[in-house]
Amino acid sequence: MSAAAWICLLLPLASAVAITLAGTAISRRVAGYVSTLTTMGAFVAAVVAFADMWSKAPVERTATTTSWTWLAAGQYHFGLSLLADPLSLVMMLIVSGVGSLIVAYSVGYMDGEDEERRFFAYMSLFVFSMLLLVEGGNLLLLLAGWGMVGLSSYLLIGYYQERASAIAAAKKAFVMNAFGDATMALALFLLIQHTGALDYLDVFRNAPHHGTVANLIALGLLGGAVAKSAQIPLHTWLPDAMEGPTPVSALIHAATMVTAGVYLIARCHPLFENAWAIQDLAAGLGAATLVMAGLIALVQTDIKRVIAYSTMSQIGYMFVGVGIGAYPNAMFHLMTHAFFKALLFLAAGIAIHALTGEQDIRKLAGVGKLMPFTKIVFLIGSLALVGIFPFAGFFSKDSIIAACLAHGTYGAILWVACIVGAFLTGVYAFRLYFIVFTGEPTPFAREHFHKHHGKEGPVSMLWTVGTLGALSVIGGWLQFSPLWHPFTTWLDPVAAPFTVPSNGQEWLSSAFAIVLGLAGIGVAYLLYSARTVPVPKPVTLLEKKFYWDELYDLLWYRTGDAVARGLYSIVELPLIGGAITAVTGLTGASSRELSIAQNGLVRTYALALAGGVAVLALVFLAAR
Amino acid sequence: MHGPDIQWYMILSAILFTTGALGVMLRRNPLIILLSVEIMLNSANLLLIAFSRLHGREDGQVFAISVMAVAASEVVVGLGLIVAMGRRNVELDVDKLRTLRG
Repeated sequence: MSAAAWICLLLPLASAVAITLAGTAISRRVAGYVSTLTTMGAFVAAVVAFADMWSKAPVERTATTTSWTWLAAGQYHFGLSLLADPLSLVMMLIVSGVGSLIVAYSVGYMDGEDEERRFFAYMSLFVFSMLLLVEGGNLLLLLAGWGMVGLSSYLLIGYYQERASAIAAAKKAFVMNAFGDATMALALFLLIQHTGALDYLDVFRNAPHHGTVANLIALGLLGGAVAKSAQIPLHTWLPDAMEGPTPVSALIHAATMVTAGVYLIARCHPLFENAWAIQDLAAGLGAATLVMAGLIALVQTDIKRVIAYSTMSQIGYMFVGVGIGAYPNAMFHLMTHAFFKALLFLAAGIAIHALTGEQDIRKLAGVGKLMPFTKIVFLIGSLALVGIFPFAGFFSKDSIIAACLAHGTYGAILWVACIVGAFLTGVYAFRLYFIVFTGEPTPFAREHFHKHHGKEGPVSMLWTVGTLGALSVIGGWLQFSPLWHPFTTWLDPVAAPFTVPSNGQEWLSSAFAIVLGLAGIGVAYLLYSARTVPVPKPVTLLEKKFYWDELYDLLWYRTGDAVARGLYSIVELPLIGGAITAVTGLTGASSRELSIAQNGLVRTYALALAGGVAVLALVFLAAR
Repeated sequence: MHGPDIQWYMILSAILFTTGALGVMLRRNPLIILLSVEIMLNSANLLLIAFSRLHGREDGQVFAISVMAVAASEVVVGLGLIVAMGRRNVELDVDKLRTLRG
């Protein structure tokens, strides 16, 4: 099992290195195939590891292998070790499985780009980093993977490097993630100070069980999770990250990397359970994000940004899940979300690809008539997103909502937020569907639509989207909490929930969620398809995305700018500038005075020489 | 040892040196200044040879010969400059040659 885990981790790294070193020796297409095959190889290795683990008793399913001591500082030793347990294996399967589908899709999507090799090298690097994050056997390796996924995300958002907005978005994502990395590093320092180790088991056993330190550790980890998963208040980078190519949005900013925060909390749940206030805070932030992102998604006009806000909203659900201690429910939603959100992005990508890169839904409107296959898979993805039976989102999202009911008064508040979110999901998801995929195509869509050899897109794009569509339909059936729950059982040894909803709560929540989701779809139908009700004017508050960007601009940029200007006029000009002016002025004045002596008369100089020699002679004589 | 005492040589040398120095500082004609410099150099030569004879060693004489060689080269350059100035009808007055003033 450990060998399979190592192969799974190292294959994508080998691919990234090989594509980089091969350079122009391989064609662009070959680079794509290398990347695809290695990611698939990683998936196969993950499946082998899974099969091996399946055959063992639940208590023996955790295996740590240390290859060598990676870092030794005094009494602290950190091994380069891999941890294979049910939780990390679920993540390995998602990352390599969904990842290989998306990389295969990219072969068609990126065809003809100038720098495809760079793209695929980055993609492989990302898959490696993400696998390192989930497989790392101690928190230090997790942090290393955490930073490296941030780096690959930065590189891929800024892939279109000639586009200024892409570079700005990449920098924004990097800086906001660096903030999270920093708080996480601080939490790790506290853990080293108080437990002397970073291995998961030692940390969980020895970490302080209550008090300020426990709270600070959980808060630091939560900071990292919030930044990576784009939750309030560090969420503003995610919509901008849509500047990257669409497969990148699907892989990094929907299916895997942004859900790393959920994984982190599920992985470190003993630390969060030591600090219940922080865990409640996580749930609260998730609830706030899911409602806010749902509201903003109602008025966005860029197809990818709408999906990005829906990603934020869905991760909000997962945060609510891990925040109230329903870890398997959140991880299950993470998995189904990876299927249907990747599906939505990739289906949107087919439309964008067929319409020469256009992303504005007003111009894309009605394109569904030209692309029946894309229309169907997008509909499947939207239904799964809204959580309509029997699609994947129904099983996973509703079990999170149900778990809220089992969490007391605070849970009841979260439950209301989740139900409101379900309604909003229905409205914005089907607003997108009705505008883009129903009705008559716009003149723009008719003019720019081009088929790819008689199909809607390259084969590599169609079969991957089809696979994800199938997974979005059947993926949820893996677990239907009231009746069967193999997923929860599987995760039980490492992430046992402390909030388990009763069957009654499950049925009640599902009923509410479905009715409100359908109501949302109905509203979207009336507004955007039947158009019997006029579309209300968009609220400025929503169009401005609740003014978060403006707030940060005011808080950091303008404040920093004002401080810098103040220091310039108070400190730099009078003190530093004044000192320099004084030195130069003094030198200038004294040299002007001295230059009078240089009058050009030879005899003056001769006299000076003679006088000088005379003085020297006197001095020497006197000093004898 | 025959001849006058060392003091006399020193006095003569001092007189010659002062004459030369005054010539350099007071006269304006570059030719005369060059002559005065030569006088100063030769006053030093006189002293070198005088002491060489006093101590019975030949170091001073060797030095005097090198000073003569240097003086000869210096005169070549200096006279060359003065002749060049004369050919260009530049007035031979050092107080007027002030263009290099700082």
